Amino acid sequence: MWDLLNNLAFGVGVAASPQNLLLCLIGALVGTLIGVLPGLGPVATIAMLLPITYGLPPVGALIMLAGIYYGAMYGGSTTAILVNIPGESASVVTTLDGHQMAKQGRAGPALAISAIGSFFAGCVATVIIAAAAAPLTSIALLFGPAEYFSLMVLGLIFAVVLAKGSVVKAIAMILVGLVLSMIGSDLETGAGRLNFNIPELADGLGFVVIAMGVFGFAEVLRNLEVEHNRDIVQAKITGLMPTREDLIAAAPAIGRGTILGSALGILPGGGSVIAAFASYTLEKKLSKYPQKFGRGAIEGVAGPETANNAASQTSFIPLLTLGIPPNPVMALMVGAMTIHGIVPGPQVMTKQPELFWGMIASMWFGNLMLVVINLPMVGLWVRLLRVPYRLLYPLILIVCCIGVYSVNNSPTDVYLTAAFALVGYWLVKHDFEPAPMLLGFVLGPLMEENLRRAMLIARGDAMVFLQRPISAGLLIVSAILLVIAVLPMMRKKRDEVFVEEG
Amino acid sequence: MAEGAPQATGPIRNPQDFWGGVAVLLFALFSLYAGSDLPGMRGFAFGPGTAPRLFGGLLAAVAVIIMINGLISHGPPLERWGIRAPVLFIASVVFFGATVRPLGLVISAFVTLMIASAASKEVRWVESAVWSALLTAASIALFVYGLNLPMQLWPR
Repeated sequence: MWDLLNNLAFGVGVAASPQNLLLCLIGALVGTLIGVLPGLGPVATIAMLLPITYGLPPVGALIMLAGIYYGAMYGGSTTAILVNIPGESASVVTTLDGHQMAKQGRAGPALAISAIGSFFAGCVATVIIAAAAAPLTSIALLFGPAEYFSLMVLGLIFAVVLAKGSVVKAIAMILVGLVLSMIGSDLETGAGRLNFNIPELADGLGFVVIAMGVFGFAEVLRNLEVEHNRDIVQAKITGLMPTREDLIAAAPAIGRGTILGSALGILPGGGSVIAAFASYTLEKKLSKYPQKFGRGAIEGVAGPETANNAASQTSFIPLLTLGIPPNPVMALMVGAMTIHGIVPGPQVMTKQPELFWGMIASMWFGNLMLVVINLPMVGLWVRLLRVPYRLLYPLILIVCCIGVYSVNNSPTDVYLTAAFALVGYWLVKHDFEPAPMLLGFVLGPLMEENLRRAMLIARGDAMVFLQRPISAGLLIVSAILLVIAVLPMMRKKRDEVFVEEG
Repeated sequence: MAEGAPQATGPIRNPQDFWGGVAVLLFALFSLYAGSDLPGMRGFAFGPGTAPRLFGGLLAAVAVIIMINGLISHGPPLERWGIRAPVLFIASVVFFGATVRPLGLVISAFVTLMIASAASKEVRWVESAVWSALLTAASIALFVYGLNLPMQLWPR
């Protein structure tokens, strides 16, 4: 306990430096901005800004990128409540009751309760990360190559099971990502692989190239096809503060949302979308007046908004302790860490304590800033919604182009990004989810390395993965999850969870 | 599949899955072909070619399952591809790659933005020209002066 406080105090010291505070503020502002603007998500934005963080010290860079992620969760709720557009996929459920509240003239309390809930969740999740980090890290140190490989298999399977859409197609996307990650040079022998002796491919495909192509550009292509008529009903925001009754009704929902969100965020592949859906379902089940849901129940705003924020923060736990990204945003954080020469994993905490604790402490500052950014300035953010898409996408384009080019000063990277934009567009047209591909691409080299080592140590005996108890346990859980996901009965149930999104 | 959603007609009942599977299979076979010259297992040690073959082989198998699923399940028809947006947008990216060195950032970024603006059906030319000029200036301020990226501004 004392250690924990000491470490947190150390982290606060790092995060409170003027430069880091400023970067945290920039991250929170950018996050709110993209959260408000539909059609621009945290994955694309973080990919866009990766090259910009080159010049920053690693701590500051990661503080800023983390701020973008949880900032987007705040911003997404604003548009969901005021204009019935989820700025972020995690805010989809917030539209159900949040917008109803706004229509009844209670937009102020809805916004306030979602900010209060998010802030509470953020504070609790920060402590959870700090508390869980040390024990998990010591477990991670017991892991050998076989365990790591099995853990990554489990992570990828989780991503498949919890993603929406076809399980088989999600598995295919992971494998595509793994194959793409093989391009370049072999880690051990240095032999060129699948690169056709093209010098630009000798180091492999750039992470930024794939992320910007598939998530940034393909997203633009898709958005250009849908008609944009954003009629903003000018909701009058009168009286921000929720009443006593509101607070009493929302408090238990906030508590449950925090717990649920924190738990789901840790699971690989879980993340904020699932957390929000699960919390809404839970609140509706527990409520004495379930008929109020969908007609402006404050619990229906408080629960999901709290849960998605808690989840977005605890999803840092697998990344920071095990070095395994549980969702595409965390995959980008791996990219950011690698750019700065940091290998994500248990050793981060011991070798780079200022990075580890500084980042955790910065989340608390960030959440505080977000409350300030969001509540008084809400009018400004809503006005931003009037920016038409035809002005927005050229901005995305030029930042991506210059960003991709500047990574290696290489025009080839720009061409490859264009190619991956088409790939991403094709994937959407054929109902493939691109996110598992990015996860596979990031985990590919790690998986291969651990698989190779485990096999070498076991003298080529593949049974080693089943003979070591932890590894066997992880693989059995993966297998059970996969079977459950494919079983028709469970599939139906799983689809129902996503139905409300429509 | 939701009730009332449009269903594909014709011999292939779930074309998104079928053609998706075909394309993924081709990609997998291509990766296997591209890695066929790499040495495989040496004793019980992995060679450079082992993991690519393993992942590529698994992918091919999964692709076949998706294809078969496309034949036996019902699904929506293929979505139509836009022409204007993809062609012009991709063209603008390629243009940027091709010209950023020889023409310098100022001209290259501005023209790139104009090409991209044309990708939207709602394009308004005067507005786009002003906006493109503004964005060019802003990105130069940010990237070249703010972040000190070594980039040529004018044609050499």
